[in-house]
Amino acid sequence: MEFDEALVARWLEPLVAGRGDIAEVFAETRRKTIVEWRDAEPGDAQVSIEAGVSARQRRGGRERIAFVSGSGEAAIREAVRALQASAKKTAPPSRPAPARADFDPGSSTERWVRRLETILARHAPRHRLRWSHEEISRHVVPLGSAASASTRRLFSVEGSFTAASRRVDETRSFSFHAPEADATADELRQALAAAAAARERPVSFGDGAVDVLFSGATAAVLFHEILSHALEADAGETPLSRLAAARISVSDLDVRDDPTRLDLFGGYERDDEGTRPRAIKLLDAGRLAGTLTDRAHADARGSSGHGRRAGPADAPLPRSSNTIVAAGAATSEEMIRRLGNGLWIEEIGSGTIELSSGRFRLAFPRGRRVRRGRFADEIGAGFLAGEILPTLSAVEPVIGRDVRICRSLGWCSRGGFVVPVQGEAPEVIVRRLSVRDR
Amino acid sequence: MIDADLERELDRRFPSAWELYRKTAESRELEVSAANRGEAWRREEGWAVRWWDGGLRFATGSDRQRLAAAIPLAGKLPGRAEPAPPFPTGGLNPEGGQIPLQPDDPAAAVAAPPDLFAPLAQLVSEKSRGEAVLASLTLRRGRAVEEIRNSAGGRVRMESSSQLDGIARALGRRGPRICERRSVFRWDGEPDLQGVAGRLADGATLPLASRGPTFSRGAWLLDPAIAASFLAALAPLFCADALPLWVKRAEIASRRVTIADDASRDAPFDGEGTPTRRVVLVEDGVLASRLHDLRSAARAGRFSTGHGVRPSYRNPPRPGPRRLFFETAGGVSPRELLAGVARGVFARALTAPVFVDLDADRYEIEFTGVALSGGRASEPLAGARVSGRISELLARITQVATDRQFFPMPYPVGAPTILVERVNFE
Repeated sequence: MEFDEALVARWLEPLVAGRGDIAEVFAETRRKTIVEWRDAEPGDAQVSIEAGVSARQRRGGRERIAFVSGSGEAAIREAVRALQASAKKTAPPSRPAPARADFDPGSSTERWVRRLETILARHAPRHRLRWSHEEISRHVVPLGSAASASTRRLFSVEGSFTAASRRVDETRSFSFHAPEADATADELRQALAAAAAARERPVSFGDGAVDVLFSGATAAVLFHEILSHALEADAGETPLSRLAAARISVSDLDVRDDPTRLDLFGGYERDDEGTRPRAIKLLDAGRLAGTLTDRAHADARGSSGHGRRAGPADAPLPRSSNTIVAAGAATSEEMIRRLGNGLWIEEIGSGTIELSSGRFRLAFPRGRRVRRGRFADEIGAGFLAGEILPTLSAVEPVIGRDVRICRSLGWCSRGGFVVPVQGEAPEVIVRRLSVRDR
Repeated sequence: MIDADLERELDRRFPSAWELYRKTAESRELEVSAANRGEAWRREEGWAVRWWDGGLRFATGSDRQRLAAAIPLAGKLPGRAEPAPPFPTGGLNPEGGQIPLQPDDPAAAVAAPPDLFAPLAQLVSEKSRGEAVLASLTLRRGRAVEEIRNSAGGRVRMESSSQLDGIARALGRRGPRICERRSVFRWDGEPDLQGVAGRLADGATLPLASRGPTFSRGAWLLDPAIAASFLAALAPLFCADALPLWVKRAEIASRRVTIADDASRDAPFDGEGTPTRRVVLVEDGVLASRLHDLRSAARAGRFSTGHGVRPSYRNPPRPGPRRLFFETAGGVSPRELLAGVARGVFARALTAPVFVDLDADRYEIEFTGVALSGGRASEPLAGARVSGRISELLARITQVATDRQFFPMPYPVGAPTILVERVNFE
């Protein structure tokens, strides 16, 4: 994906009239391999190699974007020409320039297929799982600052498998997302083994208000929904608006959004506007502390490096990355005792939030009832629901000490734009959430 | 354009077992809110090859070079043995053998969508008596050219142009309480601002009401948008290899229900080059047929019904609906439906996505609407929930109206106002 950055920057110059205007070119190459697995045998297989470039201009509250499939100077020129034509500026000279091949035929996919065959056969022999491996290379040329390039390799396994419970086989959902690393296979093995553990037959919990212990890093999903999304700079009016620096939760609670954690699925070296990201404290000792910004919504310190695109055809938006909840001091046993009577959740399947009202909903596939500080019945699927401010104020002032990565959290969709995210968290107790059976 | 060299190469490597697809598309989008305005122009190209070499392989690229690089990589992956299905032959070939697709096609400019934010905002405000405001409106318009060729000599070229589709978002406010609602729409003809404004206004303000239904059982009127969401959620039933256990008999709904799929007004062929045709899926309550693509048809020992769907060039074709709808020929006017309700609820907007579990025969719909009494609207309802067996809901549909509307989900799904009797509200 090579091109003359200085030349491209010159093409962008006519698009900028004053301070605060933004003009940039974004180029992406994505290679994706997907294999559908069924009962430890690979099924349908697909490989996709795509490239796309877009040119973007932002002036005041007005934004234009032009996208063209392809790569290299020819595609960039076409995108910039389209943008300049709509802005009625002089277009860059048209001259043919063949696109360079920018894909590397070398691949780790064959090695992964062999490993997966073994792992799946051993830990979940009856399954319908989809494995995907993506290599995403991005190149940003922003007018007025240095160009940047970065590459990420992302690994996902999603689907369902049949597991033995104590009475009858049951179908369980499974999802695992991680950046490709040496330890990924071991982590997947452990995650599958834990998910396939034998369980009691679930019973209904009933509807009502319940105290919930978020175990297994599921608190990262909760805070991703109620804090990270609400503090994205373009979120509009939310219950957290106009509460800057206010204490809204217990002083034991620290939450930050950290894109620099490259061991997590949502990490990156540069955001999609070329800005080097920094970790942002969302909640500092229970006080609201910061917002996630891109260049268009930057404060005096500039963008926080959270300008993210779903792909080259989309404009960047301020989006969260990795939600990190700081450790406390309590052991798991202390947390269970502290919960007393309530619901223990170790998995969350999905979460949604309506930012304007602050109402959120988390779907869990199973849980455990806790009575007098001890595990009781296995609980079937249900929903947890609540609102942002009451939930934050109902966090118990005791936080678990063991922090775990939430590998089931991987892709986040907002308004149809999907970006990789993740998080890590210790155990957290929230009092009086609404629970409902599914 | 697809060149003969590529076809020859595929014939040499995968004799009698390949299919080539190419799509070029151009679109324009306009997103307007009170403070911001965004414009986007996109020109996308995609190539895909599907072939059977032991098992099924699928490779895609954003241009011919990348497609060529993806093919050997996909060929190295293991696959499950499966014979190639019989491909459609012939096709639409307007210039006697030469497909007239120019390299830079589609060259014709797509007109920019109109800016309808101000008139829609005005209507939302009027219909909500000032309690709701339009937050944003995104409109999109596009044009696409698709080519399909296969090893059996099938050749198809299709042009399609979408009319306006989009999404609007409104905020309702009453005192400190706020509610947000989105409406997804598609206008095949003139923009229906009144309809979208009415849905947004009701969806954003009805949940602000003080209470839910005060009775637990009654009739249930479903707005076309809700009925369409429910029908879309049922769609996998019409494509499944094996039917769930609760579909023991062919009668799966009341005699008032006829459901069909007919995308012939959208495209003459499906994503595999099979001619589009009308398929009646449920006729007078009886499950009559199902939707097939080439692979599922081969597995079932049947012919494709022309429902090989490609949501994008990145995805291999799968069986799926293309324009799914309730038939309304025997319907009555929505006013007559309303007048016949002694006590019930008119579900006007969803407050959560429709949930269905086809295997377990369960559904759950959360909505907001108005209470009905003596054939008239009596009071707004903050929220209500109906859950139970899908089979019971389908059997209790006692009437459909004639006001069918289509909604993008993302393929067009058409439904009228529907009346369901003897429903328990939570």
